[in-house]
Amino acid sequence: MRRTTRYALLPASWGAAGPGASALLAIPSLVAFGIAALPSLVLGDEPAATPKDLFIRAEQLHVRPGRVLERGMLWVHEGQIVAVGTDIKLPEGAVVIEGKVVCAGFIDSWSAFALEPNAQFDDRAGPATRAVDAVDSYVDVRHERALLAAGITSVRLQPTVGARAGGVGAVLRLHPSKSFAETTVIADACSATAIGVSRGDGRALDVFERVSAVDRVIGAIADGHAYLVETNEYRHELADWEKKIADKQKELDDGFKKAKKDREKAQTEAKDKGNEFKDKEYKEDKKPKAPRFDEEKEIYARIAAGELPLVVEVHRALELRALLAGTKRFDRLRLVVAGASEAAQCAELLAERRIPVIVWPVPMGVQRAPEYRGASLALAAELDHAGIEVLLGSGAMDPLASRDLPLLAALAVGHGLPRETALAALTTRPARVFDVADKLGTLELGRSADVLVLDGDPFAATTSVRYVLSAGELVVGEVKK
Amino acid sequence: MLSFLLAAAALAPANAPAAHGADTFTLKAAHLRLYGNKVVDGGVVKVEKGKVTYAGDAKGAGELGPDVIEHAGWASAGLVAARTWSGLGGEGLEPKRPFTAEARAADVVALGHADFARARAEGITTMVVALSPANVASGITTVVKTDGETTLARDGHLQLGLSSQALRTNRFPTSYTAAIELIEAELAKPTGVWERVSEGKLSVYLDALSRDEIQRAVALASEHKLTGALLRAPLAGELAGEIKKAGLAVVVGPFGPGEEARVLASVAALGRERVPVAFGLESPTSPEALLRVSAAMCVRAGLDPAQAWEGLTTTAASVAGVGARVGKLAAGCDADIVLWSGDPLQLTSKVEGVFIGGVQHESKGGAGHGGAH
Amino acid sequence: MAAATLAAAGESKDQTSWTISAERVYTATGKVIEEGRVTVEDGKIRSVSKGGSGDLECYAITPGLIDLSVRIERDLASIEQSREITPEKRIADALDWFDEAWKREARSGVTSVMINPLERQVVGGLSVVVKTAGESAQKRTVKADSALYGAIGSAPSQSNHPAFGRPDDFYSRRPTTRMGVEWEWRKAFFDAAMAREDKNLAGPGTLELQKALAGDLPLCIQAWTTQDIRTAVFLKEELAREGLGKLRLVVDAAAEAWKEPELLVRSATAAILPPFNATGRSGDGSFFALDTAKVLAERGVTIALSGHGARAASERLCYQPGHAMRGGLAFDAALAAVTINPARIAGIDKRVGSLEAGKDADLVLWSGPPFEATSAVIGVLVDGRLVLDPRTQNK
Repeated sequence: MRRTTRYALLPASWGAAGPGASALLAIPSLVAFGIAALPSLVLGDEPAATPKDLFIRAEQLHVRPGRVLERGMLWVHEGQIVAVGTDIKLPEGAVVIEGKVVCAGFIDSWSAFALEPNAQFDDRAGPATRAVDAVDSYVDVRHERALLAAGITSVRLQPTVGARAGGVGAVLRLHPSKSFAETTVIADACSATAIGVSRGDGRALDVFERVSAVDRVIGAIADGHAYLVETNEYRHELADWEKKIADKQKELDDGFKKAKKDREKAQTEAKDKGNEFKDKEYKEDKKPKAPRFDEEKEIYARIAAGELPLVVEVHRALELRALLAGTKRFDRLRLVVAGASEAAQCAELLAERRIPVIVWPVPMGVQRAPEYRGASLALAAELDHAGIEVLLGSGAMDPLASRDLPLLAALAVGHGLPRETALAALTTRPARVFDVADKLGTLELGRSADVLVLDGDPFAATTSVRYVLSAGELVVGEVKK
Repeated sequence: MLSFLLAAAALAPANAPAAHGADTFTLKAAHLRLYGNKVVDGGVVKVEKGKVTYAGDAKGAGELGPDVIEHAGWASAGLVAARTWSGLGGEGLEPKRPFTAEARAADVVALGHADFARARAEGITTMVVALSPANVASGITTVVKTDGETTLARDGHLQLGLSSQALRTNRFPTSYTAAIELIEAELAKPTGVWERVSEGKLSVYLDALSRDEIQRAVALASEHKLTGALLRAPLAGELAGEIKKAGLAVVVGPFGPGEEARVLASVAALGRERVPVAFGLESPTSPEALLRVSAAMCVRAGLDPAQAWEGLTTTAASVAGVGARVGKLAAGCDADIVLWSGDPLQLTSKVEGVFIGGVQHESKGGAGHGGAH
Repeated sequence: MAAATLAAAGESKDQTSWTISAERVYTATGKVIEEGRVTVEDGKIRSVSKGGSGDLECYAITPGLIDLSVRIERDLASIEQSREITPEKRIADALDWFDEAWKREARSGVTSVMINPLERQVVGGLSVVVKTAGESAQKRTVKADSALYGAIGSAPSQSNHPAFGRPDDFYSRRPTTRMGVEWEWRKAFFDAAMAREDKNLAGPGTLELQKALAGDLPLCIQAWTTQDIRTAVFLKEELAREGLGKLRLVVDAAAEAWKEPELLVRSATAAILPPFNATGRSGDGSFFALDTAKVLAERGVTIALSGHGARAASERLCYQPGHAMRGGLAFDAALAAVTINPARIAGIDKRVGSLEAGKDADLVLWSGPPFEATSAVIGVLVDGRLVLDPRTQNK
């Protein structure tokens, strides 16, 4: 006879099972203790207060890639970096934190973190859609903390990943108790588009579709350029027109008395001769017509003018070459290539044009999307070797993948990318490409501090991040007074 | 002509044993990863006819012999993947019948398949080829090396599926109860492979996903004194005590970027409770490189690095039942050695050479180089 | 103050001895004690008496509520659908002990539940009674194999279809109508009865059916509409008439019992009522009148109220007595319908169902008169362990 209860031998403890059967992100300690035992852990609570004066000491202080201070020190006063050096004198009772390696917070150049879920793959949005509108303000703060604990302090967000028209991206800082509205570093960082990206809907794009996609992008830039020219011409014409009217007015004002006398004289003359007197009519020129407002062309005008960089996700060498050839004539255009799986085949063209490339160094299996056929972990190293400015990103497919960017960077380093270059690819280069180099990327005076304090090589699996400052506030790690 | 020969010579890897005939040589590596956290600087491994005769520091090595290979980086035992679908060519599932306990992966696996070459390029020298989890009894796994010719164990484990994926709504069984009844009926009057399982001669792989499924699997194993490991079991760490009492190991992974923190934390919890953890793959569907990526992600989530290394080598080998032959560099073991550019536990290192049974094998063509198959 | 109570709350996770005082203690034995106190020791009720203060305070204490119809299993994976009659299968093997629903039930005052197999099967198998909180599955199981469960109505035939064309799965089978469902029931019992004489006719589940025929295992049939209740009652009467056996029939989800209460009076041991709702339209096309509980209680039928696995807060068991009272049921009867009645129906009244010395310490603490819309459940104890701490609740 079968025994009755199968689980006669097993405990099924209720209290120790963490939050919910559905998979939630949890800080590791919650698994061990259960939420009930930590009543003070309120989600989204304020981080421990940051001391007014914080001194950070490091065996290796990476001010920026290439400039490393041995036994360097950093002084953060009210959130700003006020001193960087090797012999800063500590006042009495200074709060000091130590680490083996200290560097600037990492920037994920290709992220989907905190994007509102519908916005990530929305095809109907246009180039004027803005990332700051697509941000999920209520993203689980535990996810944000997980990214910070891995060293990611800022992300570039783009709505509509992989869509033809990518919208206007933004660079945001991460801070667990501040809203994204407060922590936006730049709301108009770049625009984006994608060519030949299949996006996992199973449909492989055929080569004609892909090539015509290149033409579409170039056409859009050309339209934008034309719009820019038109708008500029209109402005000039409008200015001319207004000047003409002003001049004429001045002329009339100056010669008013004389003109009045002439008019009266002419009036009496006409009356004498029995003619009708006609007043001289001054007809204005037709007001120049403004070009019809087109929000898509507006954006592309800014792209053509070089105001907004254009990040193009393109993988195959064929499309990449076509893109480069077609955009050669736009001399102000700032092009950035993302993905670039087969870019090694036209590396010299990219290097020549000084086009930065955002690489997603992820291992892929045999069932990868067709555009990733040529992808390899050695891509970053190959492109760097050819003289291209390489940036690293987490692919913008999985919002939480940003957390693992340092491990992806490690893979790229393992396949030949120099460590210093990898560090630059995570800090100074994205800061420069997205026009936030004055705020992010380095540990220099006057900056609002985005600092990582680590106990080892940032790319090692065994390293843990001990402290993180975001916008000058301590968001990971606690200090005792 | 001369220039061609010179060019050809230049292309040959500098580390290749120069025509040393049989698989006998001595390896000198700047760093040798032996087991757990034990690293020997300036280590030596002596190989004779494909077996390791010595692995340790230079002092205890004695005579080095004529064939010496010097490697400026690290060397370690070849990695062991405790689960994979490599080499099956997609043939690992019999969908119409839920109960195919006598089906053998060994009958289907193609040892020379390109999947194994890719695995080699990631430093994996031994793999347990498992079957699909979508059956209550999928069949018998096999343990092979990635050299294209060696089978370490024709029969590895009986693979049982206790997750919701093993159940269907339109064919028997549709319920956990009936699935377990099927298994228990076989164990009550065991024949064939079941006899070996009930006598403790063959271990089992129990696939389970949700925590209640893990609980059922552990209860089944405890009651019938089954040995072996759980497969997948993402939140097994929350039941670590029960798993430990049942004496089961867990084959976790593969994990990729973006994996949920709770799942990674569960692996760390298993480690703390001293439940043996091994890493597995779902190649070729997912890339072979994820074996070390999984380990690195678990270390970042709190798993002890020594346990992570064992999960890639010794523990995985013992879960596979071949712990006496592979998984470590020790006298008497097979000379499955991988040369790395750095510490193999770090993702900043990559494979620079692979020896299986003392013979060097081609190790290019992994994630580091493009080209899907 | 808040910090002190939080600290106290943290420490009391394993405490199983308490004294709880209340202005009213409803024992469900017929006695109500004013200014009473319940003393709990090591998870059992030590005494229920008048006077004294306690560690915990509230307005009213009732026994822990018992719901005989709850859904906390693995849905379709918990029933074996390859056959329609599976009396030997146990729902206990398919419980998900990690489901959030346990906490929901416990914190709303339900301390013991009977989990039944799904009504998709004609005969789903054996139910189990478990506590909604506790240390281990073993400790929480109050009664294994508490009833044989099945359904009469449209639910068991819903997933089956006639074999037009080629049958491609096993759902191409009978029953496809109510007639077919009834046929399955009668055949199952007939074959089980015949198997007493001829052992060759026995199959899986015969033992359980024979136990039910002998009256040793209660038979619980889910029947919402009046014609289905009639079918269930006629089934029992036919089997009794033919001398095949005497079933102990409990009707689950007897929504339309108000239409023909004589059926239950004459042939059913008890009725479990589904949750009252705003429109009265209930499962399987039935109409559940608000005064059903009153009508049945007046006629002497043992009734138990249930939440029937409802997720909506208003349909949980702690609100059902209030609805029943609005339909005319007296307070005492309403209290009994969620405490001692279900305990007796499930055969667990030696352990739970009322506040008497020696019984399990399953208590519900209320902030006002129980079951009133203005009262809240502010404390719950299961086997003496605090599941909901009144000291952390707003009163």
